[in-house]
Amino acid sequence: MTVLTAATPTTPTNSLGWMAFLAEKYSASFWQGTWLTLYVAVLGTILGFVMGYIIGIIEDIRTDPEEKGIGRLLVLAAKAVCGVYVELFRGTPMIVQAMIIFYGLRQAGVEIGILAAGVLVTVLNTGAYMSETVRAGINSIDNGQREGALALGMSPMKAMFHVVLPQAFKNIIPEMANMFLTNLKMTSVLNVIGLSELFMTAKTVGANYYKYFESYLIIAVIYFVLCFVFNRLFLLLEKRLEPKKDYVLAVEYMDNQ
Amino acid sequence: MEEKIISIVELGKSFGDHEVLRKIDIEVEKGEVICIVGSSGSGKSTLLRCINRLERQSTGKIYYHGKEIGNAQREINEYRSRVGMVFQSFNLFNNMTVLENCMAGTRKVLHISKEEAFDRAISHLKAVGMAPYINAMPSQLSGGQKQRVAIARALCMNPEVLLFDEPTSALDPEMVGEVLNVMKELARTGLTMIIVTHEMGFARDVSTRTIFMDKGYVVEDDAPERLFTNPKNQRTREFLSRFIAG
Ligand SMILES: Nc1ncnc2c1ncn2[C@@H]1O[C@H](COP(=O)(O)OP(=O)(O)OP(=O)(O)O)[C@@H](O)[C@H]1O
Ligand SMILES: [Mg+2]
Repeated sequence: MTVLTAATPTTPTNSLGWMAFLAEKYSASFWQGTWLTLYVAVLGTILGFVMGYIIGIIEDIRTDPEEKGIGRLLVLAAKAVCGVYVELFRGTPMIVQAMIIFYGLRQAGVEIGILAAGVLVTVLNTGAYMSETVRAGINSIDNGQREGALALGMSPMKAMFHVVLPQAFKNIIPEMANMFLTNLKMTSVLNVIGLSELFMTAKTVGANYYKYFESYLIIAVIYFVLCFVFNRLFLLLEKRLEPKKDYVLAVEYMDNQ
Repeated sequence: MEEKIISIVELGKSFGDHEVLRKIDIEVEKGEVICIVGSSGSGKSTLLRCINRLERQSTGKIYYHGKEIGNAQREINEYRSRVGMVFQSFNLFNNMTVLENCMAGTRKVLHISKEEAFDRAISHLKAVGMAPYINAMPSQLSGGQKQRVAIARALCMNPEVLLFDEPTSALDPEMVGEVLNVMKELARTGLTMIIVTHEMGFARDVSTRTIFMDKGYVVEDDAPERLFTNPKNQRTREFLSRFIAG
């Protein structure tokens, strides 16, 4: 897309100069790459979390072996499907998943766009890892919490959503933040399907002047700044979610006997 | 004839090969306060958990007002909202304040209005002396306070029967009294209760009927004045003498 322009008024003499030069000249590409990286990471992570929660919850459904109905069979089937999916996606590299899903879908006649394919791969990958985290989070909550809810007459699902999951969620937050930062960096592998995220941008820009080192250094800085900023944001969020240390006595209900 | 609230008929429970409950027959009438005593591992908790359907019995049936409790989840939920349970380890919801704990059941299960749920919560919390703590989280309370809140939470459902599984066993000795007093008060109001306890004095004074369990059997089921002073069964006698001695 960009043609080498031979007559640049001032040719940079050192790497720093080249970085400034490339960053300025291709700022639109770098912005675009940053945007795509963020887009895929944010959307892929959020949808992946949703998927991870759904699977984690399905895996926690307890079925009574003495029950013979169709409901139990459906649950067992869903669990089996989830189990296979999680194993497959945790057992293969994301870069390979990207190729297989993108070219596989195309061969099957599904005209999936590059961006959509990139998001899909990220979602599937995140979902597999998150489901394990969610399951561990649910398991870490004392069973008494669930039984306390059931004993009030709550259905198992109500017990999950009102009592168990809110507590598990709090324990999972650090892991969720971690997952997002990982995804931010892992989007770089999506260049193999031609997504012009940051890595792809650096490759293209670098090729124009054969200045790969400088070009990749630029995106390294961008990745680092993104991760740094998000990390701070998550830490702030965690602080805000910390329980209050004290409570206000409702003096209106104090009786002075 | 008095109305039977709960009838347990030939109830048995096994965990694998381990037979924990054998042929249990118990009928619970309105207003009875039944204390269940027995040595560790005799199956008291399992029996209570079967009555509440936290465990499914292996054999036998449980009837509530003459109607068998089936296996449909809806039926079980409905039944549990009428038969409350108080646990040894309190099981207050750690993600909720005291007030929210007491409004969870009424709001999410009974679907009564916020105002009514609040009023109920406050009145029951007042009765157990915990109303000033509505804004506290469970982790900020002492054991005795937690158990009093757990009792208030169960009462907010207006249960017909309340089951207690060793409600004072996890408490420091100085906090046992405050919880037992709340329970004595409940017994006085005529609430039907089934209480698993190691507090023999309490069982003798408060229960209308005491059941002694051993190795999964109901060995003796009698008025406390008879069971404690003149037990018919040799094993009951041994158990009681050990308790009084140690
Ligand atoms: N979920 C379970 N799986 C297997 N065995 C169990 C289970 N729950 C209880 N048991 C066994 O059943 C027997 C009775 O246990 P249970 O808790 O009902 O006794 P208990 O009378 O309540 O004793 P304690 O006074 O110590 O509370 C014990 O031997 C116990 O190991
Ligand atoms: Mg027990």
